[in-house]
Amino acid sequence: MTAPAGSLLSAQDLRKAYGPTNALDGAHFSIHPGEVVAVMGPSGSGKSTLLHCLAGIVPPDSGVITYNGRELSAMSDGERSALRRSDFGFVFQFGQLVPELSCVENVALPLRLNGAKRKEAERTALTWMERLEVDDLAKKRPGEVSGGQGQRVAVARSLVTSPRVLFADEPTGALDSLNGERVMQLLTDAARSTNAAVVLVTHEARVAAYSDREIVVRDGKSRDMEPVL
Amino acid sequence: MSGWIRDLAMGARFALTGGREGWLRTALTAVGVGLGVALLLLTATLPNALGARDARGQARWDYSVSGENPPAGERTLLVAQNDTMFRGEEVRGRRVKPEGADAVLIPGVAEYPADGEMLVSPALKELLGSADGKLLRERLDSKIVGTIGSAGLVGPAELVYVAVDDTLRPGDGVRRLDTIGVSEVQSERMDPVLLLIVLVVFIALLMPVAVFIAAAVRFGGERRDRRLAALRLVGADGWMTRRIAAGEALAGAGVGLVHGAVFFAIGRQAAGSVEAFDISVFPHDLSPAPLLVLLVALAVPAAAVAVTLLALRGVVIEPLGVVRTAKPVRRRLWWRLLLPLLGLGLLAPMIGQGRDGGEFNQWLVTGGVVLLLVGITALLPWSVEAVVRRLGGGSVSWQLAVRRLQLSSGTAARLVNGIAVAVAGAIALQMLFAGVESDYEQSTGQDVNRADMQIRVPLSAQADEQISGLAKKLADSPAVASVTPYTGSANVGDGKLQPQNSSQLTVGSCAALRTLADVPGCKPGDVFAVENPEFSDDSIAALSKPGRKLYIDPAYPGSPGLAQPWTLPAKVKKSAAGTDPMGSPPYGLLATPEAFPEGRFPALDGTVFVQLDKSQPDAVELVRNMAAAADPRATGFTLAATERSDKFSSVRTGLFAGATCVLLLIGASLLVSQMEQLRDRKKLLSALVAFGTRRRTLSLSVLWQTAIPVILGLALSLTVGVTLGAVLLKMTAHKVSFDWPSVLAMSGIGAGVVLGVTLLSLPPLLRMMRPEGLRTE
Repeated sequence: MTAPAGSLLSAQDLRKAYGPTNALDGAHFSIHPGEVVAVMGPSGSGKSTLLHCLAGIVPPDSGVITYNGRELSAMSDGERSALRRSDFGFVFQFGQLVPELSCVENVALPLRLNGAKRKEAERTALTWMERLEVDDLAKKRPGEVSGGQGQRVAVARSLVTSPRVLFADEPTGALDSLNGERVMQLLTDAARSTNAAVVLVTHEARVAAYSDREIVVRDGKSRDMEPVL
Repeated sequence: MSGWIRDLAMGARFALTGGREGWLRTALTAVGVGLGVALLLLTATLPNALGARDARGQARWDYSVSGENPPAGERTLLVAQNDTMFRGEEVRGRRVKPEGADAVLIPGVAEYPADGEMLVSPALKELLGSADGKLLRERLDSKIVGTIGSAGLVGPAELVYVAVDDTLRPGDGVRRLDTIGVSEVQSERMDPVLLLIVLVVFIALLMPVAVFIAAAVRFGGERRDRRLAALRLVGADGWMTRRIAAGEALAGAGVGLVHGAVFFAIGRQAAGSVEAFDISVFPHDLSPAPLLVLLVALAVPAAAVAVTLLALRGVVIEPLGVVRTAKPVRRRLWWRLLLPLLGLGLLAPMIGQGRDGGEFNQWLVTGGVVLLLVGITALLPWSVEAVVRRLGGGSVSWQLAVRRLQLSSGTAARLVNGIAVAVAGAIALQMLFAGVESDYEQSTGQDVNRADMQIRVPLSAQADEQISGLAKKLADSPAVASVTPYTGSANVGDGKLQPQNSSQLTVGSCAALRTLADVPGCKPGDVFAVENPEFSDDSIAALSKPGRKLYIDPAYPGSPGLAQPWTLPAKVKKSAAGTDPMGSPPYGLLATPEAFPEGRFPALDGTVFVQLDKSQPDAVELVRNMAAAADPRATGFTLAATERSDKFSSVRTGLFAGATCVLLLIGASLLVSQMEQLRDRKKLLSALVAFGTRRRTLSLSVLWQTAIPVILGLALSLTVGVTLGAVLLKMTAHKVSFDWPSVLAMSGIGAGVVLGVTLLSLPPLLRMMRPEGLRTE
């Protein structure tokens, strides 16, 4: 099976088991540049595993993942790490900011990991923080900001390298609805402005509403959801 | 009151339940506290262990206190001391002859075996039965018919034998005893400087253990704080959370005490099969004093609660969110500096007191040293905070480490505190050792260029044949490079019994006499009177009158002698004394064998010096075997240019052993804390790896995070250690000099422990960076 034409990232027949549990059992996926795809499904259905496989964090047991014409499974761990640093961005449910770094240092971290100088990296970070409306928190530590603010800092961190694909795993899962919606608005606006594809794992229909397309994962299998007319 | 108990019980339940995570946390605390408790208990056993060893040593005392032999009877026993050495190990040997059926028994011996048989200690039995002990077996060739019980041994690894020899006769070296053991031996007064050293060794070794226990009871602190926050949410007030935390600490310390007792029991059992620095102990000797056990059992839980409550002082536990530790209060320097200064103040009055100034005040020494070392634990968090506040820039790994330290430098400092205290104590002691070493190491005067060994064959009527035969065999042996001409010596006096004038008589060929003194024109038949200013008494002048009748080996009360008559020749020449290889100048009379009837040696002690062929393995043991074959009573003594006080050596070796144990213990605690920190950050580590952070970056950040406080800790311990060392040297009135090799060695060992801990924590770190950490379901 080949990747759908024009797709930036695609996966065919992915299988992944954790012990006796089949997390993925023949899942398919594809996303185009600038597209926002929501991956939905109940808890334990395999959504996060699909995201981890697509991002090259976890190798699948079988199946093919292609990014920009290159097969992910053919890459070494080092190459996949480099790809994540340069082309991918991540947002997790609890932000996962480094508690001892200030917010601007957290946002600048991916740039610094790519070899950027500290001042230059922090300058770029600050512009992204402005876009996410958290530039006033630059010098604060994650422990000193609210959950919603922290999550916006995490979104800024995920976008600072101008990734081509943004992976967001339940990015609003720990936020109230108001904060959640604000974060989603900023995230999708920022991604669309840079033509980044967004893989959005969520089980909330309200969050999925920000996507262009939805797929549902159930028992490790994926299927496209019919568009509501 | 019931509310208090309920809260404490709830805390205890949290410690002891809570699934795998809770169990693991409690187990870590328990193991940490347990190791500390075991070490404390071991220290508490030392007074008893040493006392028991002394008591058994006294119980087997087989020297006649009065010097007089009792008359032979049913209870009497003839005893000849026949100690030997084997590859540097002392072998205590006794040849005995029971004179009656009811002969007094040596402790550990149920009954004496038959003539030609021997009883041996279990360790000696094992050695003699092994390939390693083959050479010794040649020397101790009696039939082994049983073992000596522990009552006759000071330690389980002691090499002892009791051989029955019916040829023994009372006389020189053979004593007749009807009782064995002394009820009271006057204990030697301990040198004040040695006492000071012992005191400081104990403080320097136990202080880090206390610091270690304090660190161990804080394992799992962050998780506990989060749990307490959850309790606040459901209605617990601030005091309740403190009581719950105290209950948790008490339970952890309680389980730690149990672990400590188990570790101690295991260690106690294992101690029986270990010999360190020539000391071995029976497990039953390692019984801690009950009062000290009680003290440990009360102090450890109390300290655990105190440390926990102190730790809680720095955090605010709120019902919502976890714990706000945003801006910790800046540490103040003044009271931290006060501790070491107060310590110096306590030690200051004893400066210059020296050995002659009498006893050092033990309380002032203890208080001063404790305050100085506690000062490190107070100053280190301040200095880590002050330094890391100024650090910045650098690579990502450096930034991650520095920021982490800036946020919680206290945790890092706490981890390093134990090592810093141990290193400071050890540095101070090494300086003191180096300074006072010359007092305890003195020249023996022995000339190792002339001979390596002295072999002595005790008084024998066949001395001439025996010693000449032995000298010939030795000269032919491949183990021996050269043999000096042999001599014989005995006491000589002007009466058969208790002579009025007596001195020493040395007999040898002219060649042999020339090695001892200036004997001008010596020829066979000559006799010389030695003019030795060190022994300028009238006896020599009285004895050396030409033609005078003398008695060789005269008798004294309680010591029958052979009293062999000998008439001096008509001419007695004068001789100037030299020295023998042992460094002893001869005195009395020197004579050639021809000066005696039949031209042969009378009954004498024979002596021969040899130089060994050092390329021959076991040359010393081969020579000793040849000597034992010539006469079982013969002794082989190795010469050494210097000798060191045994007590001094054992204190110094004790420090090395103790410091090593303590550093390993602290290394274990560092590792446990490191793992705990890493486990707490598992999800974060996985997230960092997810967005492409190199593993090397994170590994390096862990290394920096440990290395920065360690470097600061070592710098501080160096300062305090050198200061304490200088003060101790001043107290003992010694010139202050820095023993840099030991300073560097101790710092190196401390740094090595940290490097080892970092290396050991890398595999779990790499494991925790796996993406599985991101899974939540």
